[in-house]
Amino acid sequence: MAAYLSMGEAHRRIGDYLSRVVNAISSSDGAALASLISVSSAPGSTPLSDALAAFPDFPRLAGDRFPHLADLLVPLLRSIHSHSLQRFSDAYSSFEKAASAFLQEFRNWETPWAMEAMHTVALEIRLLAEKADRELATTGKNPDKLQAAGSFLMKVFGALAVKGPKRIGALYVTCQLFKIYFRLGTVNLCRSVIRSIETARNFDFEDFPVKDKVTYMYYTGRLEVFNENFLVADQKLTYALMHCNPQSESNLRRILKFLIPVKLSIGVLPKRTLLERYNLLEYADVVTSLKRGDLRLLRQALDRHEDQFLKSGVYLVLEKLELQVYQRLVKKIHIIQRQKEPAKAHQIKLDVVVKALKWLEIDMDVDEVECIMACLIYKNLIKGYFAHKSKVLVLSKQDPFPKLNGKPV
Amino acid sequence: MDTTNQNAVYYDPQRDVSVPGPTQSVTNSEPHVVQSANSYVPCLTSVQHDYNAAQHPNYYYNYRQAENDSSVQVVVQSPGAAYQPLASFQNSGSYVCPASNTYYNAGTHQMAPGYATSSYYYYHQNNALADGSSVNNHAQSYQSYTPDIAQSSNSLPTSSVHYQQHYNQWPYYYDQSAQTLGGLAVAGSTTSITKAAVVGSDYVHPSDQPPPPGTTSWKTDFDNSASPTAQAPGIQGYQNQYAPKATVAPVFQNQYVNNTAGISTFQNQYASSEYRHSSANYNQLPLSIQADQQNTCHLHGSSSNVSSANHVSENSRAPGQDSVTSNVHMVNKLHIQTNPQIAPGLPIGTPKVDKSNLEADSSSKPAYVCVSMPKNDLKAVAVQGGSEAVMQVTGSFPVSLRTYVERSLARCKDDAQRTAIRRMLKEIITKATADGTLHTKNWDIEPLFTLPEIATGTNMTGTGNDSSPFSFPSSRRSPSRRTKSRWEPVPEEKVANNVEFPKQSAKSNICSSLEPTKRTSNSWHLSKFVPSCQSPLSQFSQRSTKKQRTGGGASLTENGNVSSDSVKEQDLTKYYVSSITIANSPEEKKRREHRSMRFERRQGSSSKSGSSLQDEDATANIYTRRALSLLLNRSNGDGAGCGLAVEDLDWDTLTIKGTCQEIEKEYLRLTKAPNPAEVRPEHVLEKALHMVETSKKNYLYKCDQLKSIRQDLVVQRIQNELTVKVYETHARLAIQSGDVPEYNQCQSQLKRLYRGGIKGCNIEFSAYNLLCVMLHYISKRDLLSSMASLPKEAKKDATVKHALEVRSAVSSGNYVLFFKLYKAAPNLNSCLMDLYVERMRFEAIKCMSKAYRPTVPVRYAAHVLGFVGIDEVREANGADGLEECKKWLRAHGAVLSVDNNGELQIDTKVSSTSLHMPEPENAVSHGDTSLAVNDFLSRAS
Repeated sequence: MAAYLSMGEAHRRIGDYLSRVVNAISSSDGAALASLISVSSAPGSTPLSDALAAFPDFPRLAGDRFPHLADLLVPLLRSIHSHSLQRFSDAYSSFEKAASAFLQEFRNWETPWAMEAMHTVALEIRLLAEKADRELATTGKNPDKLQAAGSFLMKVFGALAVKGPKRIGALYVTCQLFKIYFRLGTVNLCRSVIRSIETARNFDFEDFPVKDKVTYMYYTGRLEVFNENFLVADQKLTYALMHCNPQSESNLRRILKFLIPVKLSIGVLPKRTLLERYNLLEYADVVTSLKRGDLRLLRQALDRHEDQFLKSGVYLVLEKLELQVYQRLVKKIHIIQRQKEPAKAHQIKLDVVVKALKWLEIDMDVDEVECIMACLIYKNLIKGYFAHKSKVLVLSKQDPFPKLNGKPV
Repeated sequence: MDTTNQNAVYYDPQRDVSVPGPTQSVTNSEPHVVQSANSYVPCLTSVQHDYNAAQHPNYYYNYRQAENDSSVQVVVQSPGAAYQPLASFQNSGSYVCPASNTYYNAGTHQMAPGYATSSYYYYHQNNALADGSSVNNHAQSYQSYTPDIAQSSNSLPTSSVHYQQHYNQWPYYYDQSAQTLGGLAVAGSTTSITKAAVVGSDYVHPSDQPPPPGTTSWKTDFDNSASPTAQAPGIQGYQNQYAPKATVAPVFQNQYVNNTAGISTFQNQYASSEYRHSSANYNQLPLSIQADQQNTCHLHGSSSNVSSANHVSENSRAPGQDSVTSNVHMVNKLHIQTNPQIAPGLPIGTPKVDKSNLEADSSSKPAYVCVSMPKNDLKAVAVQGGSEAVMQVTGSFPVSLRTYVERSLARCKDDAQRTAIRRMLKEIITKATADGTLHTKNWDIEPLFTLPEIATGTNMTGTGNDSSPFSFPSSRRSPSRRTKSRWEPVPEEKVANNVEFPKQSAKSNICSSLEPTKRTSNSWHLSKFVPSCQSPLSQFSQRSTKKQRTGGGASLTENGNVSSDSVKEQDLTKYYVSSITIANSPEEKKRREHRSMRFERRQGSSSKSGSSLQDEDATANIYTRRALSLLLNRSNGDGAGCGLAVEDLDWDTLTIKGTCQEIEKEYLRLTKAPNPAEVRPEHVLEKALHMVETSKKNYLYKCDQLKSIRQDLVVQRIQNELTVKVYETHARLAIQSGDVPEYNQCQSQLKRLYRGGIKGCNIEFSAYNLLCVMLHYISKRDLLSSMASLPKEAKKDATVKHALEVRSAVSSGNYVLFFKLYKAAPNLNSCLMDLYVERMRFEAIKCMSKAYRPTVPVRYAAHVLGFVGIDEVREANGADGLEECKKWLRAHGAVLSVDNNGELQIDTKVSSTSLHMPEPENAVSHGDTSLAVNDFLSRAS
């Protein structure tokens, strides 16, 4: 392809591209600039990349034509060139240089006209870093580009999270940082960014763009799930769900993936249609077990989807549903007992519970079941007391099985 | 043998130098010293040898060598010669060392005299170079010190003397070639500044050819002896004069003698005899600088000076160890402090030096190889050198700068610079002639140095060395571009500019010298460097006494000339300054001192235990390899400004191979490059591990031993089954003793090793890891990730299964299951669970007191909470789990009552409000009971 390109044509194309970039900057056209500097979305072969391949002296061309922007343009061209050659690690390195130069310029521009371009840079650097890391990992090298992208984005964040009109773009960069940190497994690094976002008094969170707010709430909600802070997590994920674009089903699904376990843990069960619509059927058995008090089903469901749940980080949340399942089981026993023997309905013999568990093929001795009953009482899932001497669970006559009603166990 | 030994000795200093950044300068100084024997360097080297031989023959390679050398050569004569020069010095009185006087005073005040002397020597050398007048002071100080040092041993000096003589000859020779007598002294100083690389080349020459002056000295015993003999009368006289004082400090005397000799008559003799040698050397030398004999001489001299400084430090250490006097010990300690720092810097420095040499002359490479041979000596020196690090520190600033300058000069072959140096030398000489003034000035300065200040100064110097070594290489290349290396100290360049040296006049002197260099020096040219050095000295002298001003003015002018050349020196100075500033903080100082003291102790023992000629050779090889690899890296780096990043080093070539045969070794955190003589090879480590496994001693001992094994493994980069076994053993022991921090260290290493595919009990340890993460970390993410990373087969393992069950019991609050699992725990799971038992029990009793009504039998609680039925052995021995449970319940606020049947019950309703966690009985204010003195003593006993 490139071989057929004449030098003159290649020269013209490169010059054209360069002048478009420079014009976009000089005319403060952020959108045009953003489209010009997106590297990773380009296909393998574009007119520009062909021209770059045919005209290897492009760095000098850029440097000669626009010496004042050489720091930006030369590495940018290099990055485009490397990317078209599938050399992602090189492409990333060059792009980071270009991005640094751009950030330098960006700091000097008083108005945030280039915010769109800045966001493109933030996105591109993350995407390129991910590609570069994949490439490095396959060649057996240390994939450290995403980490480097993270530290670069922190610089960008520093340039944006200031007083003034540029702050509005800070949340976008924050979300890019979240993505990097979650992928790297260094979520503790999120804390500093969150603090600077949430403690800012001169900028109302609601003033940020909605899409950024949704993303931000999604990630912070996930963080709260890790911390088992279910009430806050519920709040944030619900916010994300409510404000998320209803058209983007995949985003809704992502949010629900975490919101459902959180809701389950505070006693709110989803309808099966919801699970089906968003293809979240891995939670179906969990929901059923909660409804039935079927401990075995819960354990089976956890076992079956263990890897998935562990990866997404909801395993421990779902595991904690066990107590609710026990509660449901005792409640069922209580209902049956009330029908059979209303006078003694509030006295449940431990043997009965043990037997019920045996039917579920769960082998627990009396002591353990007694302990579970004690835990249920201790955690306010059952109102009543346990008489050790007679091994009887004595239920309160009023509301012996209080609902969680949005409170976690 | 003798020659090789000598070479080795020389090399040792180089090695030392090479290890830390500052060491570069030091190494340089060694060779320089040899050449500039006139100057202090030779003295230092000789001193070291003496010490080694006399005190720690077994210990130091150098020592043996020194002995051999002495035996072969006319040691006595050489010392005598050395003494003569000293006498001359005294007469002249005006050597370079005003600073030295001050130092001496300081040394007398607080530090051991030996130490002070060593450091002073260094300074003296520098000073001498800078100002001829200071020489007298040095001599005086030496004399004063000598009595103190006398203990070290007179006999030792003989060997050292020989060396010194040789060195002196060389330096003289060089000096002569370079300049006249007066110029010689200066040259020596300048030479000290010159690069170590040059020195290395010199050394090589000797090894290759007996005649070369530097190395030749060993072989050229005849020549040396001849020259000494010629001088002998003068020397003898000197001895007589100083004999009483110098018994201990023969080395010092020798050094001085050398210096003096260089200055006085010796120069002539040496000049004649040595000149030939030097010329021969030059020819032989790979360096193309033959044309510029003066320059080369300067370079050599500088290198020798630096090396001498190192030697001195080593010597001082050795004496300190040997010497019984408290003073000496003090000195040693001080030295030690400096040593670690220096050591790290040295390796780097040497490579750089080599590089520079290479750059200067392609032929320099062979020289480098030769240098490697001396490494053994250097090593020994390094060991000893710790004590003298302080001296180096003080002197190191100027020395290193000088070395750089000299290098640059050698490369550039700037006649103007040379001329400037010459002028400086002349001025120095004139100053020296005005001895009285110098003396007075020095004395005046003395009051400034209070003892504590001196100590701080030494510390500071030590720190400076540490930082400088790292910084040096990079700075040399291209300070601005060099990539940051983790290993580099925090040398803020800005800091350097701002830093001032209020504490010590000596420091101020140094600083002043540095400052001029900064301004003036763009490059490392020798000429530049020398002037800069001189200028500080001159400034110093001016401050001390305005009378000296005449000389000082001249020096200043020279400085100005020089200054134009050297730019890079600024960086160096900055580094130094920063290091000094860091060192200034009293806590730092204390810590350093402490560490250094420990270090020295250990060194002494290790050196005694494990040095043999073979070992020396091996170490030498290692060093050469290291140096070569560094050098290669350098050359690969190309001048393009890419600094020598740690990551780029070829670690395989740098890896040392231990030679220590002792199975037992106390752990001490390394503060410098590891010494192969103190590192145990793999087969010894295996024995050591076995020893620890079968040892009946307590955990503290085992932990210490295992840590030292781990350290040896790390420094030798051994990563195999043995490594895994060591970490596993340590981790298990730590678990058993509840030492979670240590366990965590091992666990993280094990994780890495397992990931590297090394077999071990990885499943067992993934279970431990699970338990540990679960029981001690709040973050659920860690738990999730460690659960997610469990391999499939691990989940089938009983230990892992158990750990997972424990986790689920904890998360659901199922205390019954928890204690059931506790009873049935495989491997060491129970030990980890132990750490969680108390919390689990308290949760359980809270739960029970809320859930049960009206009472719970204590017997049941004891059963459920694992008080009974867990440790059958103990119960069989009469320990009553029930009683224990009662005690525990009461301690936690549970209310017990006896029911109608006489059964003890927990009154749950009352208890539910009164439960609390008791204050830990053995609580200590710092929160770590393991740090409690009583506990420590009881455990240690």
